[in-house]
Amino acid sequence: MEPAIRLTGLTKRYGDHAALDGIDLTIERGDFCVLLGPSGCGKSTLLRLLAGLEPPTSGRIELNGARVADVAAGVAVPPGPRDLGMVFQGYALWPHKTVAGNIGWPLQVAGLDAAARRARVSAVAALLEVDAYLDRYPGTLSGGQQQRVAIARCIAPEPGLLLLDEPLSNLDAQLRVEMRAELLRVHRETGATVVHVTHDQVEALTMASRIVVMNRGRIEQCDAPQAILDAPKTAFVAGFLGNPPANLVTAHPDPFWHIAGVALRSPPVAGWGQPVRLMVRPERVVLHREAGQHRLPGRFIEALPLGGRRLVSVAGPFGRISAIAADWPASRYGDPVHVELPADPDAVFAADGQRIA
Amino acid sequence: MRLFNAVRGGLSAGHPVSGTAALTGGAFVVIALLVLVPLANIAVELISDAGLEAVWDVFAGRIAENMLWRPLANTFAIGFAVALACVALGGVLAWLVTMTDLPLRRWIGVLAALPFMIPTFAVALAWTVVFADDRLGVDAAGMLVHLGVPVPAWLAWGGVPVALALIAHLYAIAYLMIASALVTVGRDLTAAAEIAGASRTRILRAIVFPVVTPSLIAAGALCFAEAVSSFSAPAILGLPVRFHTLATRAYGAIETGSPERGYVLITVMVVTAALFLALAAVLQRRGQSFATIGAQGGRRGRMALGRWRWPLAVAALSTVAATTILPTLVLLLSSVSTASGNPFATLTTHYWIGAADPAVAQGQAGILNNPQLVRATLVTLGVGLATGIAALAAALVVGLAIGRLRGGFLAGTLQQLAFLPLLIPGLAIGAACIGFYGAPIGPLPSLYGTPAILVIAGVAATLPFAVQSVVAARAQIAPTLEDSARVTGASPPRILAAITLPLALPKLIAGFVLVFVKMVRDLDLVILLYTPQLPLLTVIAFRYASDGFAQFAHAVTVVILLVSVLAHLAATGLGRAAQPWLRD
Ligand SMILES: Nc1ncnc2c1ncn2[C@@H]1O[C@H](COP(=O)(O)OP(=O)(O)OP(=O)(O)O)[C@@H](O)[C@H]1O
Ligand SMILES: [Mg+2]
Repeated sequence: MEPAIRLTGLTKRYGDHAALDGIDLTIERGDFCVLLGPSGCGKSTLLRLLAGLEPPTSGRIELNGARVADVAAGVAVPPGPRDLGMVFQGYALWPHKTVAGNIGWPLQVAGLDAAARRARVSAVAALLEVDAYLDRYPGTLSGGQQQRVAIARCIAPEPGLLLLDEPLSNLDAQLRVEMRAELLRVHRETGATVVHVTHDQVEALTMASRIVVMNRGRIEQCDAPQAILDAPKTAFVAGFLGNPPANLVTAHPDPFWHIAGVALRSPPVAGWGQPVRLMVRPERVVLHREAGQHRLPGRFIEALPLGGRRLVSVAGPFGRISAIAADWPASRYGDPVHVELPADPDAVFAADGQRIA
Repeated sequence: MRLFNAVRGGLSAGHPVSGTAALTGGAFVVIALLVLVPLANIAVELISDAGLEAVWDVFAGRIAENMLWRPLANTFAIGFAVALACVALGGVLAWLVTMTDLPLRRWIGVLAALPFMIPTFAVALAWTVVFADDRLGVDAAGMLVHLGVPVPAWLAWGGVPVALALIAHLYAIAYLMIASALVTVGRDLTAAAEIAGASRTRILRAIVFPVVTPSLIAAGALCFAEAVSSFSAPAILGLPVRFHTLATRAYGAIETGSPERGYVLITVMVVTAALFLALAAVLQRRGQSFATIGAQGGRRGRMALGRWRWPLAVAALSTVAATTILPTLVLLLSSVSTASGNPFATLTTHYWIGAADPAVAQGQAGILNNPQLVRATLVTLGVGLATGIAALAAALVVGLAIGRLRGGFLAGTLQQLAFLPLLIPGLAIGAACIGFYGAPIGPLPSLYGTPAILVIAGVAATLPFAVQSVVAARAQIAPTLEDSARVTGASPPRILAAITLPLALPKLIAGFVLVFVKMVRDLDLVILLYTPQLPLLTVIAFRYASDGFAQFAHAVTVVILLVSVLAHLAATGLGRAAQPWLRD
């Protein structure tokens, strides 16, 4: 079976700035794919290109094996025939249509007759629990209700592909948790492929069957959530994901391997003459009150209770390191702390961010 | 090349060209036909033999002194006086309403915009009812003379009353422009300065002035340009004492059969107004860096006026009343009086509903009994409606093209061209339209004397306002609203009909009514285009006034004011009806 989405060399430039810079990506049918990345990394742009709202500068987009955009071949299919639905970053509900009108209009465009339309609107409204507001205008709904309407409008025509652009970003923490479950339920019940954009790694880790981590218009890594956590391919992914995120500490090779002048127990990689960045998970960092060999001297910053243990932050010439300690005596800001790193880091990245060990 | 393609797209609909190109081409064609070609036609006339002779006559001939230089001096004096007074008056009002604890400021703020609805010629006519002296006969003398108060000649006629009538109309524009700039002065900002111990004058100088200076300049320049182009005020208050401005001289020249001389004068007017608006744009750009200080400050920190609160409120209210209610009442009173300016005359309904009576007003019937006036009302309303619709249609083409082009050179050019008519006096647009559309063009007949030429001139003159309303309507619709409609697969016309237009409707209605009202109460634009077969209310009022039928003129003016006010009320109602989703 052809994949739901296949992107080849997809690039989008605004003037000199490349919002998307050579994206290659394949997403299988039925996947719940989460696009994750910092602000401005091109997530929304990618969705808009998928939807056909904007043409790529170069590259190719195939949906279910059909070319819908191919700059070299001059193919540019408009949004309509692409069979997709989209929830926009700010919902983009039509303020002059009632909830029923918002959900029903795409069905009208699709050519459903009035009876079928009514039936479908009430079914979808019931699914998203907005059936009580069908006659109200969007302006009179709360943020969470508006968002459900936006999702209802998007799924009503039963598109094969759902594009969701930060649909949960405007909600409070509790509603967000509820809506996550709701979205997953919709995904399961419709069987559609979903591309879901978020900043929020908890959202990504809990919902995704695949996570695509983006940075500066490029894909850093595309994997299952556990694989992304266990085996980050780049320093960016290592520092961006994980709760708490892994430590990244720079080590220098000359005259001997050291971190801020403190010698390492063993070289992190064999036969490498450049500085590297070591990834060490907080649970593997040991903190001491006394100085000692291979211990990095630093100062206490803060301690955060974390599931019965404490997440302790230490700053020093090496930057900032956090450690999970079973117990930590009361300390004051600036108290001396000595950090012991494991002999074998969890991963080693070259200066350009690529993983080398 | 893009321009060429765009123009071709506009002309040959059969070719497969993109919608944007077709729109852009259409926009350029619309602007060219309405504005550029008629104006270019004037320029062409000027470089003909007769034109060059007229240029020589006007600038250096025996008549130059009377034809150009003295009227030019008068025009400039009026322009400067009006600009300064409007900025001062509008600025003080704006400051009182937005920055101080003036009592009733909300009301005063709403009312201060109203004088803009009272046309200059209404104020000018009202002025004559009160201040006219008896040089045009005792019947034409004003209330003061009848009350035994001597009126000095300079207060009765000429430059001073002309300037005052213009100020009474234009200070509302200055108020609106300056108030909207002042609102952006963060009140937190002034509050912070107050806490820092700065004195009031220091706050004004250091914080408020820099932020509002661009708007002061813009308001001054606009009032100057409007004052310089005005025809009706000097025609009513200046001509009886042979006080001339460029506009009245141009009108006189065209009406007395030397249109080339008129064109020369009109060109001088256009260049003067344009120079000042351009100068203002340059000055403004220099001041612009300050304008970004603005912030949506809280409501705190209004400046306390202390014991000046009530006196200032009364002064502000009186100013607003003196420029709105007072002239209206004066005109109304005059229209039901047997002797216009005489407070002791008996009241009569003759001028409104009286039957023709040879003993009164040379046998003229009351205006509601006068078939010509009924016809004029219908023609005026018809021309207003047609102009509103046509201006909106033209503005949609131009505004949508500007929106589609998304910045860039072409969009900028279109925008500038669409706003060009702001620089051109109504009289000049009328003259240009007569010059171009008043003669047969190829197989097309002359449009002179048809409603079409009025509508064309009206659309040309109001295009900036209509385009502005379309651009504003578009700007307030988030692009994702249309994107989300595109994703459903709806066609562009369907999106326009189902999403864009309903959302834009309130702004478009407002634009339509603005054009309609401008047309209904405009005199400058139509004075040259008018023919007896095509009577318009404003022209009839003007004719009545010049022929000494003051009460008729005033009754007709009251009708015009009534139509304007009703249109505004209807617009407000329509705007609300068009947005059911804003109702609770
Ligand atoms: N129409 C446009 N013109 C110019 N630059 C644009 C345009 N749209 C997006 N960009 C730029 O492209 C980059 C990517 O934007 P995009 O909206 O895709 O970011 P994002 O990942 O969705 O960010 P966020 O998480 O903040 O929504 C940004 O640097 C943005 O400034
Ligand atoms: Mg985004």
